Amino acid sequence: MANDDGLYPIAILIDELKSDEPVRRLNSISRLSTIALALGEERTRSELIPFLAENTDDEDEVLLAAAEQLGGFVPFVGGPVYAHLLLPLLETLSTVEETVVREKAIDSLCKVGSKLPDNSLCEHFIPLIKRLATGEWFTSRVSSAGLFSTAYPRATAHLKAELRHLYASLCKDETPMVRRAAAHKLGGFARVVEREYVARELMQLFTDLINDVQDSVRLLAVESCSAFAASLSSEDATIHLLPVINKFAQDKSWRVRYNVAHQLVQLCESLGKEHTRSDLTPNFVRLLRDSEAEVRVAAASKVSALSACLTSQQIALNIVPCVRELSVDNSQYVRAALASVVMELAPMLGKPGTIEHLVPVFLTLLKDTYPDVRLNVISKLSQVNQVIGIELLAQSLLPAIEELAEDKHWRVRLAIVEHIPLLASQLGAEFFQDKLGPQCMRSLEDQVASIREAGAKSLQKIAKDFGPEWAKEHLVPKVLAMSRNSHYLYRMTMLLALSLLASIVSHDVLVAHMLPVILSSAKDKVPNVKFNAAKMMARIAPLLERQVVDHHVKPCLVELCEDADMDVRFYAREALFACEPK
Amino acid sequence: MSSDLDRWIEQLKKCEPLKEHEVKQLCQRALEVLVEESNVQRVDSPVTICGDIHGQFYDLMELFQVGGDCPQTNYLFMGDFVDRGFYSVETFLLLLALKVYGFYDECLRKYGSVNVWRYCTDVFDYLSLSAIVDNRIFCVHGGLSPTITSLDQIRAIDRKQEVPHDGSMCDLLWSDPEEIDGWGLSPRGAGYLFGGSVCEAFTSFNKIDLIARAHQLVMDGYKWMFHDKLVTVWSAPNYCYRCGNVAAILELDEHLNKNFKVFEAAPQEVRGAQAKKASVEYFL
Repeated sequence: MANDDGLYPIAILIDELKSDEPVRRLNSISRLSTIALALGEERTRSELIPFLAENTDDEDEVLLAAAEQLGGFVPFVGGPVYAHLLLPLLETLSTVEETVVREKAIDSLCKVGSKLPDNSLCEHFIPLIKRLATGEWFTSRVSSAGLFSTAYPRATAHLKAELRHLYASLCKDETPMVRRAAAHKLGGFARVVEREYVARELMQLFTDLINDVQDSVRLLAVESCSAFAASLSSEDATIHLLPVINKFAQDKSWRVRYNVAHQLVQLCESLGKEHTRSDLTPNFVRLLRDSEAEVRVAAASKVSALSACLTSQQIALNIVPCVRELSVDNSQYVRAALASVVMELAPMLGKPGTIEHLVPVFLTLLKDTYPDVRLNVISKLSQVNQVIGIELLAQSLLPAIEELAEDKHWRVRLAIVEHIPLLASQLGAEFFQDKLGPQCMRSLEDQVASIREAGAKSLQKIAKDFGPEWAKEHLVPKVLAMSRNSHYLYRMTMLLALSLLASIVSHDVLVAHMLPVILSSAKDKVPNVKFNAAKMMARIAPLLERQVVDHHVKPCLVELCEDADMDVRFYAREALFACEPK
Repeated sequence: MSSDLDRWIEQLKKCEPLKEHEVKQLCQRALEVLVEESNVQRVDSPVTICGDIHGQFYDLMELFQVGGDCPQTNYLFMGDFVDRGFYSVETFLLLLALKVYGFYDECLRKYGSVNVWRYCTDVFDYLSLSAIVDNRIFCVHGGLSPTITSLDQIRAIDRKQEVPHDGSMCDLLWSDPEEIDGWGLSPRGAGYLFGGSVCEAFTSFNKIDLIARAHQLVMDGYKWMFHDKLVTVWSAPNYCYRCGNVAAILELDEHLNKNFKVFEAAPQEVRGAQAKKASVEYFL
């Protein structure tokens, strides 16, 4: 073998596979497809696969990598006709003790199985399922549960019956681990089984599993509920599942209730509007008022999706009272979940309903102490805007914003300032000019330094959004007016705002309006203002023409280099250096 | 050196202590600056005056967020940077780059040697005793001394030494104002209590408007006394993490207009994970 150049790659692989170091074996396994490609299809079939099959007694990590690689191996062994050759190796890997290896092997078996021609599927894949499902060790039986939905659709009628029978035995297995796996995969299996058999055979299995003595089995079975509902006629779904849902929505384990809350929207779709309105809504309301916060979070995030199945009257009557309670829930996560969807109710409630029911909730959430809640509300404002119109929104929104913008806790004020660009982009330039603009300008004169900084950054974002012309007309004059403020800290805020706007406004505005103010700030009597002016000059110099820099900026900086204050001299020198052509 | 300094400041702002040899370099450099300063350091407005910090690092960060960063805003700290809080080393070193019992233990715990403590205490000895803003506002940690009537007398003190147990230097650091007539004994066992008439005499003799001092916890962050001739400023919110007080800084603009900025303790989510752990250790 060694004198054949074509075999050099496999020589390396075999060497590395025999290495004592797991890292090297892992490395060679991860390059398995490259090696297979080099070997060609025939040698992969006749040499590589048998070799791998002989070496399945390795570290879990190596086996995991092998299991993963083999899922994409069908082309390397010569296509679907030869794909069954991969099955024995994967079968071995799907019976090992380590769960992650088995799960990966099952994934790969499904991938390979789906590529098999029908005859090969019946001849090789289904017998493999049978062997695993009746295996002595529970690990192989657990693995088998994940293979049924791949095999079933293309099996003969006779084999289909056999597969259903086998699955039933897994559901009744004496080992809870096997029943768990069967419960977990039942929904997926139900999707591929014919409706009449779902109702006649699988439904009974489902009923048994949801009454299992083991909590964990019941929990997994509930997860299959919505898949089941989709696989039944809506009549059957109603007869079989409605009692189940009613029962589980009140289960003593919160995890079960959580699972119901999580699936309720899909269940509504399967059971239809009528049953949603009459039967599922009371359950939903119960879950919205659940004693566990996790359940309420899951339910609250479905408020609008579920309401889409209801009439506006029902929403107002059943859902809105809960929404009102949830808006002041103890848990911030519940409030945040609600805030992220509740605005979507606006189109369903219509204009009067939104004003009556939704606006108060939204004002409450807007004043929430938890920033995520406020942010979630603000990012969905456009939906309310579309329903009630900007004027009405402004009427209710502005007082709240103003109140928050004057909150005594500076972090609350900071949050509002940071949200202003988002509000502005949703509500438009005109709204900003009239209502938010003054608020934003006031933040530049806030007592707290971080808020002034955030205000300047917000102005920059808004200017980017609405464009240079708009900024020239509506922002620049207001900012420039601050140069007359008697307090040095506010004059410095003005400089910061100017430097942030400099790259957005037109060159004309920069040179004609901004630069003179920056240059005169260099003659301020407070050293801090002077050295900030120097810093700003360094920042805007790249935006200016050479001539302007040479005739206006540099002389000003040279003068500052002789200043009495050490910091001013330092920053002036740095700025001069930055003004040199690069 | 200046790039080192920038790096240290970045590191300290994250509340990460410096390496021992870096502390040594920093302290040496601080000494070079401090030795040039007068006992009554002349300071120009605008400046923001701060009271005790007591090693509450995250609250100092809060202070900078409210008052503005260095060097945008000028700051004057009136002492007690260390002790009681959990981050005296970081706090003091940060204030240096931009005095002493519990501080010693913290140095020992965080550096495993007393060297850092020694470097720092050397610096303490050199810290200026007081400052005067625009010749009108006198700033001192504690208060006045019966042996001192003029600012020139303070200028004459040799401060480059450990604080003695009595005498004028000790008084400046530890005295407290009190609604009494003249002088009284201090319950602290160091320094004196001084009344409104003492304050009045000192301010009029030295032609100053105001004495700003720290040293005493005031629940509202600042407290006026003696017909607005004296103000106490306290900058450690929720002192010792349990007093429930708010803190303040006194912002003086270029016209010496006074503006108190009150702030609360930094919220739990902006504090390091250590704060929680440390508090257990602290209260046991």
